[in-house]
Amino acid sequence: MSNNDRNIVLQAEGLCKSFSVVGEKLKVLEEIDLKLKKSSSLSIRGDSGCGKTTLLNLLARLEPADSGLLHWGAKIINAQDKPCSKEANWRAKYIGVVYQSYYLIPELTVLENVMMSVRLSKLSLTNYKERALQLLEEMGVGNKCQQIPTKLSGGERQRVAIARALVNNPVVILADEPTGNLDERTGGEVMDLLLNTCSKEGTSLILVTHNPNYARATEQSSFLKDGRLIYE
Amino acid sequence: MKSAWPLFLAWKQLFPSQRKVSFFSLLAIIGVALGVNVMIVVVAFMQGFQQKFRTDIIDSQGHARAVPLHRQLDWRESVETIKGKSQVSKVTPYLQGHLLVQNRDYNAVPFSMGIEPTDGNGVLPINEFLKNGHIVIQGYDSKDLTPVPTTQTLEDDVVFITQQVANRLGVRPSTILQIYDLNKSENNSISKGDITVVRLDPFVKSGEWVIEFSNDQNFTLRNALGTIERHASLVSGPPDLGWGYPKFDIKEGDNPFASGDIYKFQVFRSSILEVYSPSMIENAKSDEMAPPREVRVGGIFEVPWQGFHADALFGTRRFMEDMRGEVDVCDGFFIKFKSEFFEDERRLGQLCTKLEDDLDGDWSVMPWFVENAWFFDLLKFEEYLMVLIMIPIGLVAAFAIAIALMTTVLRKIREIGLLVAMGGSRFAVGTIFCFQGFIIGSMGALLGCALALLFIRYRDSLMNFIVTRIAGEEGQAGVTQFYDFYSLDVPYPWESEQSLSTFLTFILFAILVSTVAGLLPAWRAARMNPAEALRSE
Repeated sequence: MSNNDRNIVLQAEGLCKSFSVVGEKLKVLEEIDLKLKKSSSLSIRGDSGCGKTTLLNLLARLEPADSGLLHWGAKIINAQDKPCSKEANWRAKYIGVVYQSYYLIPELTVLENVMMSVRLSKLSLTNYKERALQLLEEMGVGNKCQQIPTKLSGGERQRVAIARALVNNPVVILADEPTGNLDERTGGEVMDLLLNTCSKEGTSLILVTHNPNYARATEQSSFLKDGRLIYE
Repeated sequence: MKSAWPLFLAWKQLFPSQRKVSFFSLLAIIGVALGVNVMIVVVAFMQGFQQKFRTDIIDSQGHARAVPLHRQLDWRESVETIKGKSQVSKVTPYLQGHLLVQNRDYNAVPFSMGIEPTDGNGVLPINEFLKNGHIVIQGYDSKDLTPVPTTQTLEDDVVFITQQVANRLGVRPSTILQIYDLNKSENNSISKGDITVVRLDPFVKSGEWVIEFSNDQNFTLRNALGTIERHASLVSGPPDLGWGYPKFDIKEGDNPFASGDIYKFQVFRSSILEVYSPSMIENAKSDEMAPPREVRVGGIFEVPWQGFHADALFGTRRFMEDMRGEVDVCDGFFIKFKSEFFEDERRLGQLCTKLEDDLDGDWSVMPWFVENAWFFDLLKFEEYLMVLIMIPIGLVAAFAIAIALMTTVLRKIREIGLLVAMGGSRFAVGTIFCFQGFIIGSMGALLGCALALLFIRYRDSLMNFIVTRIAGEEGQAGVTQFYDFYSLDVPYPWESEQSLSTFLTFILFAILVSTVAGLLPAWRAARMNPAEALRSE
């Protein structure tokens, strides 16, 4: 393994995925090859329904692919295998996720929501509480720690979701249209925070977005069309 | 510190942060608590009834009964053998049969039992029965001073009868009333002392008695006819005129007696019964006519065990022998064991078998629980039936929990997807809902236990409230005649192993059923495809 290969934290080789629609096989992703280096960022753009979210799900091993290989660092996974619980443990520590709809748990406070990542990673709550508070401070929601998510604005919720994704120091962040529900100004602020924090923390980022400006802010840009990933 | 996140999340979904309690959790916990409370209370009361019947049965027939397997001529030797056993506390031989009892035109055929007056109160607490059956006459111008009869007054010409027999025959034991002179209210209103009657035997004659004070210390006791007159002082006390006369006792009160204080008493002699026995009928067949045996009513008794004969009569063993025309016979013994031996039924059974062996197999010794097995089987059956009826109540609560949790699963599809995306295993996500069932079951069970304890603690007040609302103040006596809640001994779990076991059983049942109720929603959550869950609207 070369030094270059060692720097790759997430790699996909020949990923294919199709869905059955009214008895017919609809190919969504075809022979997707992707390499993400440590501390780098990659944006993926594409039309609605072109398979961006599906690609993220395959990379996170939330569903099996039809064929292909995945490399989570040194761990090689046959992408067509059914996801198993061992991978879940690995995913908890290796991958952070940010979604368009935030998905904060309404019964928990902001701090408890962020600490859920720590709980799921089976890390020490005591050790990571300080980091969670610091991240929330950096995200500008430090004063909302004890509030419940329903009392926050959309922008604030997404900042909390980003803090949650980063708190347990994952290697890769998969962000699926994180600004999709936000207005332009708030979206811009949130995106700056996400990119800056990932860059500062050395976390690799795959960003799915429709916005070409945000895509340009990443180190690598790509476009998903007809099931294939085209690098720009 | 690491934590089990499914348990944490389960707790938080039931009791969310920044909110005191969720409505769903409260309803679910109250539902389980009410179910557990009802189950515990019903079973505890059934056990209370069983305990009461157990005590009543032992009181009415002792711990065991020995009956001869063939005619025993030498029964006294057997009594001595039994008495000689270190485990045995008391033995009472008895004779039994049916007698025809008559008062004027009224007849009764009570189950009759002859016992030795000296040890009659040994196994059977007859004095307690007499206390239960004692009736106090309520009069607006009189006060009933009749003492409760005891087995000391039981002679060959005296019998004790049950309330039912007394009512049927229209008879009563000797009675004494203090008569107030309504025109002289000072004697009643000022507490000058207490005059009681300490003995009123069945042979006392009807008549009026007077106690008249000549000063604060001395008084005269006389009958109204003037045939008896005795002077006495408070120091020496009222004189004992012997058998056939009332014996008074005077205690000084806050104010001294004064010259001219007169206290009047009216005595009513006890009713006389004519008793016929089957042997008399046999004699009559051979033209040997014998007059009926005349006996006095010495007291009225009531046996707490309702399985005991409602129409019953106690006399001396010799009286029964006379009525049967037999000499020195015995139909069996009532036996009481020392307390350390009768608590354990298995041990009591073994003791009875040992006694049978020691009596050379001439006697069958039956412990109380064998003789009354039918009754306890019936009670047990009732208890099981109650539990069987109540189990669906628990299952209904479980279904309600399952439906509520299933709704939660459907409401939280995207959260479930997110948890898996964040690294939770599907199994762990499923356990959240099992834990929720477990928490609801545990809290509901504990609350149910607390409610049951309160119910047991305040059962009399509660029953009083209910009975009064249904039957009114006057109806209390009628209701308690059938359902004597007030004398029920319903033990707390720290007082009895059986009660503890009831509480623990229903706690475990509630927790188990509630946890199982969470399985279906858990399975539904665990098999969810996270990618589809995240896509769902």
